[in-house]
Amino acid sequence: MPKRVSAARMLDEGATAVPSLVHGTKRVGSLQRQRGRTGVLFAIPIVVLVSFLLLFPIIEAFYYGFTNWNGISAQWVGLATYRQLITSSVFWRVLLNNAVLLVAIPFAIFIPLVVAFLLNQKVPGWKFFRSVYFLPTAVSWVVIGMVSIQFFASNGLLSQALQALGLGGSQAGFLGHSATALAAVAVTFIWSVFGTNTIIFATGMATLSTEVLEAARVDGANAWTAMVHIMIPLLRRFLQFAFIMTLITAFTALFSLIFVMTGGGPGYGTTTLEFFVYQQAFSQGQFGTGAALGTVLFLIVFGISIFQLRLMNEDKY
Amino acid sequence: MVSSAQARRRLTRWLTFLVLVIVTVIMLYPFYYMIRSSFQSFAQFEQGHGVSWISWEQLFSTLPIMRELANSTVVTIGTVVLILAVSTAGGYAFSKLRFRGSHILFIGVVSTMMVPLQSIIIPEYANMSQVGLVGHYIGAILVYAALGSPFATFLMTTYFRGVPDDLLEAAVVDGLSYAQIFFRIMIPMAIPALFTIAVLQFIQVWDDLLVAMLFLPNPAVRTITVGLATLQAQRIVNVPVLMAGSFVSALPAVIVYLIFQRSLINGLTMGMGK
Repeated sequence: MPKRVSAARMLDEGATAVPSLVHGTKRVGSLQRQRGRTGVLFAIPIVVLVSFLLLFPIIEAFYYGFTNWNGISAQWVGLATYRQLITSSVFWRVLLNNAVLLVAIPFAIFIPLVVAFLLNQKVPGWKFFRSVYFLPTAVSWVVIGMVSIQFFASNGLLSQALQALGLGGSQAGFLGHSATALAAVAVTFIWSVFGTNTIIFATGMATLSTEVLEAARVDGANAWTAMVHIMIPLLRRFLQFAFIMTLITAFTALFSLIFVMTGGGPGYGTTTLEFFVYQQAFSQGQFGTGAALGTVLFLIVFGISIFQLRLMNEDKY
Repeated sequence: MVSSAQARRRLTRWLTFLVLVIVTVIMLYPFYYMIRSSFQSFAQFEQGHGVSWISWEQLFSTLPIMRELANSTVVTIGTVVLILAVSTAGGYAFSKLRFRGSHILFIGVVSTMMVPLQSIIIPEYANMSQVGLVGHYIGAILVYAALGSPFATFLMTTYFRGVPDDLLEAAVVDGLSYAQIFFRIMIPMAIPALFTIAVLQFIQVWDDLLVAMLFLPNPAVRTITVGLATLQAQRIVNVPVLMAGSFVSALPAVIVYLIFQRSLINGLTMGMGK
């Protein structure tokens, strides 16, 4: 039997090859040429767009990082800008802020994981809850930041709640001190990415076969052990994806939030690398320094991406 | 024994429900706060109670909200259309019209996904101002399109790879050219993917601050998101008016989200690749 099946398949493949035999190589060659030409034509727009507006600028950023540049004329200064950065305390402060924000990532992964697990229990109304949780994904960081300012203000909800508990509020508001301001940005960040990560995990859990989980349940595992020992390993790909996305968001997508909430302050208290790029170039006119900082940011994101590719390739084998 | 197990099960479900409700309150509270505050005068806001239309009147009478909404619409729609055009064409070429070097080009295009906006924003700005496109819709549209296209092209290429080659061969035998196949067969089949890309990009561009702020700096072309952020930075407008403005600026993207939620969730998981 298997032989006959494969023979039929061979016949089938032969059938699709027939036209080329009938029409002869000349016709096929011209068809292939037409296909290739159309391909080039259709690929031109994306290639041009990406070359001029992404590739060329990243090369320029790399180059201008070695110059003293005011946006119009540039003098080559070699590594001077980088040397200056390394010895500047502000630069290290900025990197430290980025590092502190990374502390938010475990929360931004773990809380959604638990909530996705609860959503997956499919209690009445779970679809409604899911829609609500995902809502912030559609709302700009500017609007989120705007409301967040009120929440962390001296007369805001958080301050009132702490006073009610007898813990004392914050006289200047939580955005007035650099430590609490950075924490406020981190909390807002967690709130904002909560929905996206919850959806990623909920989607992942939906792909798991219920049989595996039921089997575990019958074996006497309670819901919690089922989650820790069975679900999490099966969700590895989804966890990796959410982790990488959140990491890249933390490095490259908080500009608007910081711009609105704190303007990078007080002092440099909430200035992250991406905000520092903007601040150096467009407030201080230091385009060369901005380009160098942009290059550093690129290398960080590049590193994360390579790490991600590694993880994905590992999965394949 | 059975009834106690059942009771425990019921209790767990109630607790689950309760936690989900609490999370819902936490997620919705900011929106409630925004809407409630916008329907107060500044004095009422300070006192913490009362209802008034005055902040909404102020919003529309003192600020160019309609102009900014129109600008946001032009920029967002323009970007979405450009991205759809470029990414479907590119996706078709990379998946079905392989030519010498097409794979390398595809890898090149996709790898630009990892270029962060802030890394290129300064040279981009310098180049755009040199060619005189800062302050024109088209400048911002081009930048947004470049940022959104690599991912969109990746999605379209993956999507078109799923179309069987036999279908194209049959069309060729019927006498269609490869360009005609694109318009008559590939595009109609790709409608769900087009929706996903359109919704993702609509929200992304509508909500963006940095590109719009730098590339559309003058009031005549300013978008609503930038208008709002500038108001906040200047600290001349009171909180209820800011909240009304926030609500107006968030509304279009939220409506798009509510209608096309499914597409958005698809896009998110499609981002994980195959």
